Amino acid sequence: MARMKFLCDAERCIECNGCVTACKNENEVPWGVNRRRVVTLNDGVVGAEKSISVACMHCSDAPCMAVCPVDCFYRTDDGVVLHDKDLCIGCGYCFYACPFGAPQFPQAGAFGLRGKMDKCTFCAGGPEPDRSEVEFKKYGRNRLSEGKLPACAEMCSTKALLGGDGDVIADIYRERVLRRGRGSEVWGWSTAYGLPPKPGAQPPVQQQQPAPTSGKS
Amino acid sequence: MTASNRSLQWREKVIDPLFESRTDQMIMYELAQKLGFADQFLGKKDGKQNLRLVKVKGRDEPSMEDTLRNEVNKGCWTIGYTGQSPERLQAHMRNQHVFDVKTLRARGGKDAKTGYDLTGDYYGLPWPCYGSAAIKHPGSPNLYDTSKHPMDGGMTFRALFGVEKDGVNLLAEDGIANKGSDITTGYPQFDHVLLKKLGWWDELTDEEKKEAEGKTWANDLSGGIQRVAMKHGCCPFGNAKARAVVWNFPDPIPQHREPLYSPRPDLVEKYPTHDDVKVFWRLPTLFKSVQQKAVKDEMHKKYPLILTSGRIVEYEGGGEETRSNPWLAELQQDCYAEINPKTAADRSIRNGEYVWLSTPTGAKLKVKAKVTEGIGPDTIFVPFHFSGWWQGEDMLPFYPDGSAPIVRGEAVNTATTYGYDRVTMMQESKTTLCQVAKA
Repeated sequence: MARMKFLCDAERCIECNGCVTACKNENEVPWGVNRRRVVTLNDGVVGAEKSISVACMHCSDAPCMAVCPVDCFYRTDDGVVLHDKDLCIGCGYCFYACPFGAPQFPQAGAFGLRGKMDKCTFCAGGPEPDRSEVEFKKYGRNRLSEGKLPACAEMCSTKALLGGDGDVIADIYRERVLRRGRGSEVWGWSTAYGLPPKPGAQPPVQQQQPAPTSGKS
Repeated sequence: MTASNRSLQWREKVIDPLFESRTDQMIMYELAQKLGFADQFLGKKDGKQNLRLVKVKGRDEPSMEDTLRNEVNKGCWTIGYTGQSPERLQAHMRNQHVFDVKTLRARGGKDAKTGYDLTGDYYGLPWPCYGSAAIKHPGSPNLYDTSKHPMDGGMTFRALFGVEKDGVNLLAEDGIANKGSDITTGYPQFDHVLLKKLGWWDELTDEEKKEAEGKTWANDLSGGIQRVAMKHGCCPFGNAKARAVVWNFPDPIPQHREPLYSPRPDLVEKYPTHDDVKVFWRLPTLFKSVQQKAVKDEMHKKYPLILTSGRIVEYEGGGEETRSNPWLAELQQDCYAEINPKTAADRSIRNGEYVWLSTPTGAKLKVKAKVTEGIGPDTIFVPFHFSGWWQGEDMLPFYPDGSAPIVRGEAVNTATTYGYDRVTMMQESKTTLCQVAKA
């Protein structure tokens, strides 16, 4: 079974927000809820500016799953991390646990009322029947069940954002790194998918690291 | 449809207009009827008619084939839209497979429906395509390409500015001409006199001669002058040099002139703007007097920063449509000024705070500060996609119900100063002066 992953190539992202707009439009995400966002570091500093598109990375050992008190998360056969909004109590633990700031809450009411958590579904919907009206209303479009990849990555004009079979996108990225001879570190990958890599599924790492390390990549 | 390589494609209608909508040409024809010139619209004269009517959704509309053949092809002799007849373009669409994907040229092939021989045509007859459709000019895959015969898509620079200027020859020099040209040097535009002098006049048919007598390549409606010129490897519009000195412009060669509101009086001295013009497109237009007044009033000291405006990726033009789209409006919810960290620090401005931006017009804009290294310490950038605020006030109450864009902000051109380009009369909106202060 394929393992679905996202990969954002910081050497290519031009901060056009096409991914964000595609996501909003495809899933009809309400104002204020950002399943995906583009983060720019060192804005305007020559040679140091970098942009990356961030959303739920559908981690291998997902911290949100580990901390959820009602166990509303589940993983699909494709490795996509989804959740059940009927079970979610909006406690916000997942938001604190997530290293990518993915979980979103539609409300900020009295007594910490946040409403049901919402996040990127890798355009794979939720527990309801595929492509049903109720699934769309709660989770957005289920493109995966239609044989389509996430709208954000499909939309990306520079193909900085890749989404799909982890082996395939790693191969694409590896070829890019070999061609340009730099930029081998993929932002967020070791955080999301762990080290050491599954053989053949990991872009080349510049320095040989002695042992798997935890923490920031 | 014209593609960016100048190829034309004939597009077939996909569906009839839905509901009560009508086609563009139907609307134009019906408007002509209402205004009382439907006969002229259809080109009715001497029992003939340029545009036949066809029925669509039970209503009349002028035939698109006739429009291209009898209006566009007939009316565009000087600009090379005469050879692209509907029959040729339709044959191209039916036989896309015979065209080479690199050269665009058809090696051979006959249209099964009409028997039209496609050999030698470039796909979509790229503009310009000279002469009548019958002589089968193949279109021009590259402009100004003298390595090809005109009937193979070759071209020269048009002799548009006369044959000489101040004793200097403006036509092409000896040896510069299209491949296979019978004239191997520069030549002027073709007319009946030149054709006769060259001894090529008798190559016109008797009918062409009747039409071409006293005419030039541009108004000989028989197309004979174009046909004969191209047969001899010559471009009917002449063979001249490209013009780099535009003597009819105020600056024949572009030169630097300081903007009317310049941050540098010393440069104004050195590179002053144009003199005032008393009658320019019927209007008196000020240049130098405004610039000198700005220097005299020391505007560069009161407004020490350069103000420039431009685009951001989220919005288009004035932004009314895109700021009304929730997916886009959410991405940029305020009009802002980009300010360098030093400029901001000198004025105690913090990122995200409101600032007042003022300019020599007296306008004041209330925008958010975006403190960034992306702009120099002497410059302020404001995007021009906003409107709906007027000098600090949201004009929301003045919008008809439901028509206000989601995001509103100051329109930067409220504050940009007077100034025009001397040639195009484009307003000066990229270089003026401003000051910013904490709001």
